[in-house]
Amino acid sequence: MELIVNGRRMALDDDYAGGVLLWALRDGLGLTGTKFGCGAGICGSCTVHVDGAAVRACVTPVESVLEAEILTIEGLSPAAGPLHPVQQAFIDEQVPQCAWCMSGQMMAAAAFLAANPAPSPEEIVEAMRENYCRCGCYVRIKAAVARAAGVEEGV
Amino acid sequence: MAEKKRRWRVTRRGFLIGLGAAGAGLAVGVALGRRPFYRFMAGMLAGGEGGPVSYSDDPFAWFEITPDNEVRLYVGKVEMGQGIHTALAQIGAEELGVDFARLEVVQATTAGGPGGTITSASNSVSSTYGPLREAAAALRTMLTLEASRRLGVAADRLEARSGVITSLDDPVQQLTFGEIVAGAAEWPELAEPPVLKASDQFEVIGRPLPRIDFAEKITGRALYGFDMRIEGMAYGAAVHPPSLGAVMKSAAPGDAAGRPGVLEVVIDLPNQFAGVVARTRQQAWTAVNALEIEWEEGRRWTQAELEARLNFEEVPGYTIQKEGSPDAILREGPSLTSEYWTPFAAHAHLEPIAALADVRGDGARIWTATQAQESVRDSLADLLDLPPEAVVVTPTYLGGGFGRKLDIEAAREAALLSRAAGRPVHVGWSRLEDLRYGYFRPATRSRLSATLDGGRVEAIAHDHVSGEVAFSSFPTFLTHILGTDFGAWRGAFNFYDGIPHRSLTTYLAPLPLPTGWWRGLGLLANIFAMESFMDEMAHVAGADPLAFRLAHLGDDPESRRLAGVLEAAAERSGYGRPLPPGRAHGLACAPDVGTMVAMVAEISLSETGEIQVHRMTAAVDAGLFINPDGAKAQTQGAIIMGLSSTLIEELTIEDGRVAPANFDTYPLLTLDRAPEIEVILLESD
Repeated sequence: MELIVNGRRMALDDDYAGGVLLWALRDGLGLTGTKFGCGAGICGSCTVHVDGAAVRACVTPVESVLEAEILTIEGLSPAAGPLHPVQQAFIDEQVPQCAWCMSGQMMAAAAFLAANPAPSPEEIVEAMRENYCRCGCYVRIKAAVARAAGVEEGV
Repeated sequence: MAEKKRRWRVTRRGFLIGLGAAGAGLAVGVALGRRPFYRFMAGMLAGGEGGPVSYSDDPFAWFEITPDNEVRLYVGKVEMGQGIHTALAQIGAEELGVDFARLEVVQATTAGGPGGTITSASNSVSSTYGPLREAAAALRTMLTLEASRRLGVAADRLEARSGVITSLDDPVQQLTFGEIVAGAAEWPELAEPPVLKASDQFEVIGRPLPRIDFAEKITGRALYGFDMRIEGMAYGAAVHPPSLGAVMKSAAPGDAAGRPGVLEVVIDLPNQFAGVVARTRQQAWTAVNALEIEWEEGRRWTQAELEARLNFEEVPGYTIQKEGSPDAILREGPSLTSEYWTPFAAHAHLEPIAALADVRGDGARIWTATQAQESVRDSLADLLDLPPEAVVVTPTYLGGGFGRKLDIEAAREAALLSRAAGRPVHVGWSRLEDLRYGYFRPATRSRLSATLDGGRVEAIAHDHVSGEVAFSSFPTFLTHILGTDFGAWRGAFNFYDGIPHRSLTTYLAPLPLPTGWWRGLGLLANIFAMESFMDEMAHVAGADPLAFRLAHLGDDPESRRLAGVLEAAAERSGYGRPLPPGRAHGLACAPDVGTMVAMVAEISLSETGEIQVHRMTAAVDAGLFINPDGAKAQTQGAIIMGLSSTLIEELTIEDGRVAPANFDTYPLLTLDRAPEIEVILLESD
């Protein structure tokens, strides 16, 4: 089996056949930046992009994405280039605390902003409300997504 | 360098000077002051029963300077989101005289670093601030004295800044810290206490500097316990009891060994353990269900039975606060009595507990997301029959802790599996395992009675019953010595010094559900009860809740600081001024670990009666803020977690076991329900 991850075609051990994308990425390919939170598609910690759309890797069968372009947090910014605007905004707003959920938050935000570059505050809330943050960084997540979009954060 | 053996020499001032191999540089560490009682407890604990408590005279942090002028701060404190590594770097850089950006913070392992610490109880900064500054000042003084000797310049005409000691009179005369270290063979003991930098000279402490761990966390490179990988590793899973108190009577492999990817089936009845090792985690999680386990199950506890145990009749009460004679006054019939209840709660950190273990015949290496690395080391040494120094625990970043990662369970399972399989094994719990098989915040019940006279509270009594918080991880003899569970009554001492007659009586209910450390310990339940009762008393007295509180605070410095945060939060929130229709304000205050907090909530009720929180205004007086932005972030986050707990979370028992299996049945507060939050920081002496 092979997966196309962050622009590279990578060989995946057959042991990951029949499993979900999350463990193929983390354990099969060593890309541990994508996190496990619930295994049920609820918390959003495992959010990655599949052909540009945000999906929950913990409930995505590996076989369903074999020819798709998968993007993980490790590939969100070019290796030697500047940070993706969402990552830069998350640093500028000093968003994370433990940061376990943050790969998923940023991948969700990046996919959302790619589709809606100038969102309203309500649209930001709607887009980000299905990603849990147990440390409670929600106020800063909203601010950072607005900052990345270059829009004023409303009330 | 971290693994290198280091000999410590204690100076007359109580600092520890570590002299490594030649050329390895100089290290100065500091041990936290230990009161005699702690020493006594440490001695007793060394006897065996363990728990997440470890006291030692090891330095809790040390600085190291290498000849090429690299400066490192080794810390035992772990980073779980609270920003402790950044705060400690600020304190260290300030007092030592190095640039904040150049001071590298190194998470110590149990073998190659400072010890004697756990990361808990919200006191990492307050307990280390003084000792860390003193260690840094001692090191700076030693470097300055050596530079003085080498340069022939009087020490008081030298200045340490950016890792260089420079003559104030002739700036060409200078030596880097590394040059000083490289040229010195012997270090003098300090005869005098080191002089600390004056606080009005602070350049690093008190600034909202960015977190030092974000570069790797924002790019997915940071490694947590769940992320640890080494060559040749496999993945493990273990069985867990089907109901509370169930005992494993027998275990057989079933057809687990034939399941895809399975490398090893492990059955260890004396340790009540059965599990599998497989090539992938999903294979292990699937195969473990094929094990044939016979359980002897006990009573199938119900939620109602557990709640009924939280009463004031079946266990003795201990009165631990008594001012005046509240009993006599309240016996004549209180003006008001109310009861408050808080449910069981899960920590629900988003990174489930996890560990990687590599157990060999002569030693073990463990990588784990833990708040208590020495407890992991000692427990595993015991389990594996190894000397403690043969077990090396490397704490990783934690994806949330909240008191849950004080235990050893993931490391224990990984170690037993690794020993049997003869290879490194990683165990990371599923969400179901993490929700069901850990320990929990105990449910509590508070009963408050008061007598009011002319709008003032004359007497108040608080009876509080809780499941265990601290006692669950203490050996029995220690619970007898301590008498009452300080974790359970944390925050319950009545701080309204203007009330002449006050009492607090604490009860500990035996519960079949494991309970223990949860963020803030008893604080949340106790402040909820006491401050709700203040509102009810104000209502009876016909008084404004803010004025009522202010009228009952005392006149000591702590009370004045509480009044200060109350007034600041009220002022900023617009408390007392008209609100849009349907909106209301409520407020509360509390002291904890020397910090005073007050909050005003602006809420409304939805048509279905659901509480909607629109805005929270918090005023925090923590004395000195090492990193004001970090303090704001912690306050914002604590408000969200507190609201999640108050409005949503309730862990229930069903048919003898914890009911929720995932976030669909144990949901957390989401971003769309998060209020606006404003945090005001007030400084005090």
